[in-house]
Amino acid sequence: MDLAVEGAGADVAVVRCTGRLNMVSAPALREAVTGAIADGRPRVVVDLAGVDFMDSSGLGALVGCLKSARSAGGDLRIASPSAQVLMVLKLSNIDRILRPHDDAATAFDE
Amino acid sequence: MSEHQLVFATPPDDVNTVHDFLESVWSDDTTLTDEERMAFELALVELTSNVIEHAAAGEGVACRLSVAITDGELTATLSDTAEPGSVSLVGRVMPDEMAEGGRGLALVQLLVDDLGYERVGDSNVWSIRKARPTA
Repeated sequence: MDLAVEGAGADVAVVRCTGRLNMVSAPALREAVTGAIADGRPRVVVDLAGVDFMDSSGLGALVGCLKSARSAGGDLRIASPSAQVLMVLKLSNIDRILRPHDDAATAFDE
Repeated sequence: MSEHQLVFATPPDDVNTVHDFLESVWSDDTTLTDEERMAFELALVELTSNVIEHAAAGEGVACRLSVAITDGELTATLSDTAEPGSVSLVGRVMPDEMAEGGRGLALVQLLVDDLGYERVGDSNVWSIRKARPTA
């Protein structure tokens, strides 16, 4: 999986993931989000448009990142999930705390 | 009807080895729907992750994965050389939404019709079966 982090506005970080979000790549996502929060960007958008596969390890990393962001006074939103990612969110009953947004650029506008 | 087999060992292999194997399986069988592929791949990756995770404390694990596709069902068995499993398969429930782990086998149970585990000789043998939609 490839990760790219870019800042947006004063305190938002957009983390773009490409590839498979599984037990191999989940630690890198946690690291990227932790780094963004440490850099003063506790409002994090994880852009999943390029993720063709996510499993429970990836989901666990997203939940861990959500908790980290909230405890730093921010929040975590997810954007543009594929059909596969939506299936995992739904089966895990987690679409309530990780509600998918259509677009990473506007995920914090809603 | 097609049958496919993958032999791998962690390390150096990991779940991406299983993904790559399944990509070749899917390209070989054009009758499967996106939904069938998504569900079966997730179930197999969750099982493999579980095996690798529980073996991580030891000295790695060697695995053999077999996948069979017929008109009626998708089946797979994953056998490993790890220590005997102590995982209960009965009534796995999805953990609290803020939990960071523990969803793997609960997901597998939602994704397939049968999930089995048995100890055969020195191996743990996991098996899954999913019926295919009737045309």
